[in-house]
Amino acid sequence: MNHNWNFASVFAYWEVLAVGLWGTLVLFVICTGLGLSGGLIMGMLRYSKSRWVNYPARLYVEVFRNTPVLVQIIWFFFALPVLTGIEVTPFLAAILGITLNTIAFSAEVFRGGIQSIEREQWEAGKAIGMSYGQTMRRVILPQALKRMLPPLTSRGIEVFKMSTLASVVAYPETLQQAKLIASYEYNPIEAYTVVALIFFVVLLPMVQLTYVLERRFGKSDA
Amino acid sequence: MHEWDFAATLADMDLLLLGLWNTIQVFVLALAFGVPLGLGLALGRMSRTPVLSQLCSFVIEFFRTTPPLVQLFWFFFALPILISVQMTPFVASVLTFSIQSSAFFAEIFRGGINSIDKGQWEAAKAIGMTRKASLRRIILPQAVKRMIPAFAERSIELLKTTTLISTVSYADLMFQANELASKTFRPLEVYTVVAVMYFFLILVFSQITILLEYRLAKSGEGTMR
Repeated sequence: MNHNWNFASVFAYWEVLAVGLWGTLVLFVICTGLGLSGGLIMGMLRYSKSRWVNYPARLYVEVFRNTPVLVQIIWFFFALPVLTGIEVTPFLAAILGITLNTIAFSAEVFRGGIQSIEREQWEAGKAIGMSYGQTMRRVILPQALKRMLPPLTSRGIEVFKMSTLASVVAYPETLQQAKLIASYEYNPIEAYTVVALIFFVVLLPMVQLTYVLERRFGKSDA
Repeated sequence: MHEWDFAATLADMDLLLLGLWNTIQVFVLALAFGVPLGLGLALGRMSRTPVLSQLCSFVIEFFRTTPPLVQLFWFFFALPILISVQMTPFVASVLTFSIQSSAFFAEIFRGGINSIDKGQWEAAKAIGMTRKASLRRIILPQAVKRMIPAFAERSIELLKTTTLISTVSYADLMFQANELASKTFRPLEVYTVVAVMYFFLILVFSQITILLEYRLAKSGEGTMR
């Protein structure tokens, strides 16, 4: 237990860490943006009554929910280039893996949210002459979104944590940069402790936010 | 167009099956340690002693908000220096995933226990049970039933997270796949086979969950969430 903690050796490389944080942020923003909007579309396809729409969407969701993200990222990085001849960068592989995964998970959230709205709302929309699309956009989604807010925030937190997996294909995000520092300075304790603390400090307020959202929107329709 | 050739992958299937076995070992051990530890953390968090409650809350939140890969690296690379013990990939993996999943299990336990009607506690007290006895005999048996779906879902998450241990060179299914891919120069086939293996492993698991949920719904036990 006589370790001399030396955090200065980590902060001397703050520029390296800053690059990593930026990389994490870029992954987070792109994957959450594409993942949630894709999830909304996929969720509506899942909700469709037509088998031709419903079944492929379901297959997609099940495939991406039932395989580990790391396998997906590695598959896109090593296997996709063989198949298509396109060179896949670590960045693209990470984006593909995390986004497609987020689409699958948030699709289920969107579907659940849409299903939770009473049938009467659909009928009321129809009664005043709205089309399916109009009812969905103007009546159903605004109500459903409120209920979906807590689980969607949790998804965002998951994406933020998942971004560390991009280090496996050497994309320069926070963990990858810490690895670099640890190998220069032989200070894995400090380097990895700093990374853990960064994530903790960033995500704790987000977790608290989900608690607040759950209390406000979880059960009643406030 | 790529010519699919699974022969090389299938010839070394025993390597992948060994990896699968190692994956399952870590998964089962992490569950075996994680669930009781999660119960302990949940009870600690709900305890009336402020210090204990705050400490347990901190541990739970810390392990829920930090990425599992960072935790694994910390336990594998940092902890051995700190307490000067030899750390094997296997021990580091089991340690990380036991603690990591216990933080999530703790929240499931807490939710389950809180979901039980207050009247149950009062009834137990009225017939002279202590807090401990009512928890064990009255509250937990009811709460556990409600927690099963959430438990199953978390276990599936755990199973998927175990792929991370390949990064510290533990010979799990993912690691064996990496080895085989570089040996056979057939990454497409190897990783596709491995993805299919994970898919079916998790599919079987999630189908059991759905069956369980269905039976619980039938027996009138409401499911949580």
